[in-house]
Amino acid sequence: MQPSSSANELFENLRLELRRGSLILAVLAALRSEQYGYTLRKSLADQGMEIDEGTLYPLLRRLESQGLLTSEWREEEKRNKRFYRLAPRGEEILKQLLAEWEAIGASLEEILKEPRHATAG
Amino acid sequence: MQLLDSYVKAVKLYLPRKQREDIARELSANLLSQMEERQEELGRALTEEEEMEFLRQHGDPMLVARGYRQDRPSLNIGIELIGPELFPMYLMILGMNLTIALGLTAVFVYLFKAPVSLQPFILPFLIQIFCVTLTFVILNWIRRKYPQPWYYPPAALSPHLPIARWHSLSGLVVWSIFTLWWAAVPYFPGLLFGTWAQGLELAASWHHFYLPVLLLLLAGIAQRAANLARPEWTWLLPGVRVIINGIALAMQVPMIHGFPFVVVNPAAAGHPLFEQLAEAYSNIILWGFLSWLWIYFLIGALIYARFCVPHVRRWLALRQHGTAMAL
Repeated sequence: MQPSSSANELFENLRLELRRGSLILAVLAALRSEQYGYTLRKSLADQGMEIDEGTLYPLLRRLESQGLLTSEWREEEKRNKRFYRLAPRGEEILKQLLAEWEAIGASLEEILKEPRHATAG
Repeated sequence: MQLLDSYVKAVKLYLPRKQREDIARELSANLLSQMEERQEELGRALTEEEEMEFLRQHGDPMLVARGYRQDRPSLNIGIELIGPELFPMYLMILGMNLTIALGLTAVFVYLFKAPVSLQPFILPFLIQIFCVTLTFVILNWIRRKYPQPWYYPPAALSPHLPIARWHSLSGLVVWSIFTLWWAAVPYFPGLLFGTWAQGLELAASWHHFYLPVLLLLLAGIAQRAANLARPEWTWLLPGVRVIINGIALAMQVPMIHGFPFVVVNPAAAGHPLFEQLAEAYSNIILWGFLSWLWIYFLIGALIYARFCVPHVRRWLALRQHGTAMAL
């Protein structure tokens, strides 16, 4: 049982690592139109990108402190909410990241297409 | 939405000071939107249990706040002693303990007209650092070894969170051992004096507080046993502990006045070694324990009193509701 649970843990850690970068990309892309924390999380989840609140809300603040997002408090439905949107610097970075993402995707596709060689001997 | 407010307040406690208000405001708005959406789905307001379940799913306030901290300070000496989740609370409790201990030592120095020097402050200062650090190192070890959410619920939410059985069980074991030791000491002085028991005995003053201390220990054990069987009796823990800590605090003055606590027994009367040992034992009890133990009873009593407040409020609300129904 031990090896299986440790394999699961390893997979979980690697999965989180893999997702981390893509989450930033997804958040930046989704914030090309203005949203507040909860609706952003919902729209990401609706598109298959589930993200935990404990990860998303701190991430938004970090991206804002890095100058990639801007935010403002505004009243909506009789309540003040903090709306985020992509900052000009974020737009530039998003373009670069998307190009990088596409390049990685293309490379991976090539690598995965290659026939698997026997490693014995 | 009183539970939501309490939850956000609890998160706020662990947030970086500069952004505290802003983050709490945003978190509150996001959680409220989510709860309102749930209410719309159900077509009614959430019950207290549903609201609590929602907050429980959102996570331990300490861990939620940790996500917002980029500095993540911790106490580390190659191995982790106090992790980043507990570290802000460690600093807060240590600061509070040091302030109370040093402040009151200053008052005593003034009242007893002792010469102004650093000396009286050193022992309380070191003891507070040692005890608080050791406590948090143990808590951190438990967190890492047995991870589970909601180790330290905020007072307002505690009535809704059953008391963990491991918590009651570990306390039951530790305090049962100590109670047995305490109960046995008058009959087997060797448990306290070791091989010197032949020349030492407990002073008469000891017998005045022996039984009350034993009763307080038994009350603590009874509470833990009851909560082990009934974890949902969340009122029992703060209720019993506030009484225990309050009585223990009140007993400190007569206990300190009971000095000396250890005397030479008639068989060894006049023996210089036993005279010295009796004095040393009494001083260790006075300065090693009683001089600072009352700080813990005071802080314990205040914390548990705070945890009693939501139970009293709930009880009053239920009573009012019952009266209204009867009318």
